[in-house]
Amino acid sequence: MVPALTRRPGADGHFTDAERAFVDAATARIIPTDDTGAGAREAGVTQFIESQLAGDFGDAARWYMQGPFKDGTDEQGYQLPLTPAQLYSAAIRAVDQHCRDFFGGRVFADLDAEEQDEVLRGLEAGEPELGDVDSRSFFKMLRANTVEGFLSDPMYGGNQGFVGWRLIGFPGPRYDYTRFIGRHGEPFPLPPVGILGRDGFI
Amino acid sequence: MRAGLTVLAGAAVLTGTAAGLAQEAGFSDIERGRYLARVGDCVACHTAEGGEPFAGNRPIPTPFGTLYSANITPDRETGIGGWSDAEFERAMTQGMAPGGKRLYPAFPYPFFTKATRDDIRAIKAWLDTLEPVRQEVDPPELPWPLSWRALLAGWNALFFEEGVFTPVPGKSAEWNRGAYLVEGLGHCAACHSPKNLAGAVELDEAFEGGFGEGWFAPDLTGDLREGLGEWSVEDIVEYLKTGSNRFSSAGGPMAEVVERSTQHLTREDLRAMAVYLEDLPAAEEVAEPGDVRDLDELLMAEGEALFVDNCTGCHLMSGEGQEGVFPALAGSSVLQQEEPHSAIQIVLGGAEKPSTEAKPTPLAMPALGWKLDDDEVAALLTYLRNAFGNSASPVEHSTVTDVRSIIEEREGTAALASE
Repeated sequence: MVPALTRRPGADGHFTDAERAFVDAATARIIPTDDTGAGAREAGVTQFIESQLAGDFGDAARWYMQGPFKDGTDEQGYQLPLTPAQLYSAAIRAVDQHCRDFFGGRVFADLDAEEQDEVLRGLEAGEPELGDVDSRSFFKMLRANTVEGFLSDPMYGGNQGFVGWRLIGFPGPRYDYTRFIGRHGEPFPLPPVGILGRDGFI
Repeated sequence: MRAGLTVLAGAAVLTGTAAGLAQEAGFSDIERGRYLARVGDCVACHTAEGGEPFAGNRPIPTPFGTLYSANITPDRETGIGGWSDAEFERAMTQGMAPGGKRLYPAFPYPFFTKATRDDIRAIKAWLDTLEPVRQEVDPPELPWPLSWRALLAGWNALFFEEGVFTPVPGKSAEWNRGAYLVEGLGHCAACHSPKNLAGAVELDEAFEGGFGEGWFAPDLTGDLREGLGEWSVEDIVEYLKTGSNRFSSAGGPMAEVVERSTQHLTREDLRAMAVYLEDLPAAEEVAEPGDVRDLDELLMAEGEALFVDNCTGCHLMSGEGQEGVFPALAGSSVLQQEEPHSAIQIVLGGAEKPSTEAKPTPLAMPALGWKLDDDEVAALLTYLRNAFGNSASPVEHSTVTDVRSIIEEREGTAALASE
């Protein structure tokens, strides 16, 4: 069976410019570019998230989305009436408004890194109040999607150049390691490979 | 019994000395006919996708156009129910239907003519027991003047020799039984030999491999790389009886042949066929193992990378595969054929082993055509044809493109048929 490509034509038009700028800035703080190597920005995480939100994930196509909607426990998972696409859209609008109110009219993407971290920590802790939007649920989803985009197969738009897999030393879905059994302490010589192949030949 | 049936002393020898079903007393002509129809794999061509067995109208693609196989159930109007034994015999041995209508040689009468008249009548006796199926057969789709059947008289004059198989003196009874089956009803050479521009088998290159249904049916001679040079008689029997052996697995059209035909033959007959095939000499220029060709290093590096990334999960880094499960790429004759079409078919479209009584699990290789483009397949196969001690010509990009369009056409037709 051929895996379905979720990066579909038209996905690039899902975000507004403001939304794209927010996701780009926020994911770059969640997995920053630092001395361990490339971060979410180089990996194309924004592209990954935009593509996912434009598809079935964004529409909550496989989720139970009828009421009742109540606050659940952490183990019960996502409980909001909003689809992921609606949640991103509403939350980004609310967070940018919050930033304008508290940071001299600047939106999230225009804040410096420390200010951005402060806002993100606030979201993680359930502050500030964002009206209808539950900030903790949004942060949880944003963080999870960032990690997914950084570490998923490059065919889905993120992990470009295998930067995620290189960071954690994952060679990709290879199957035959018999040649390397017993060769301890040596670096694995093969480059990472994705479902569509490796860099350079694809 | 008509006198004509026993005219040929050879015929009696062939069926009499042959081991197997033909020999066993108590089997009626009808049962023998059922068995012989399996040898000929009549069902393969004479059954349309999703249609009644033997009711025909299956499209048979040829380089000249599409033909539709005959309905050979005993329906009086659309089948062969109105045919006499003599008329059936004439069709099988001369390629001529009642009323003098010449049959196109896509129907393998140039091979069936070698069957004994007794065997042909047994097949007719068995076909007569089938349920008649009313199934009209579409007319051939051939360009003029090929649509003019009278031209076939010329084809026959040039390429067709009528006559029953004559045992070769000095060869064993087993060899002769094998030759009778392989050259006659089995019509193996129809695919496994090169054809000339008129579609006739090149007799001086018989069994050196040839095209069939977009695949390249491998060389069956004693050639060490391309042919059966490394295979023992037992290896051949196991392949035909079960669908695979220590060297290879049947795939593509041969998987169907094993499933519908050869697995049902007696071990004695398969052994006889194997003995005959083992005796086929290799073509003149036998490639020596260890032949190294001058190949583009960059292309080979790309091919190796594609191999490591896509194939080693099953075929292993060493290319040795897993005996009985995943075929070895090292030394593979399918890979090293003169024409790479079958290897390209397998990479692009995948392949499934036949499901036989002996080995029921139809292990399959997945298609890779959705992820590898034509350049990549060419690089991959050029590498595999020249890695692990293999040696064969590089694979051209354009050949991959051709095979891809054959597969797309086939899958398009299958999709239409299932609608």
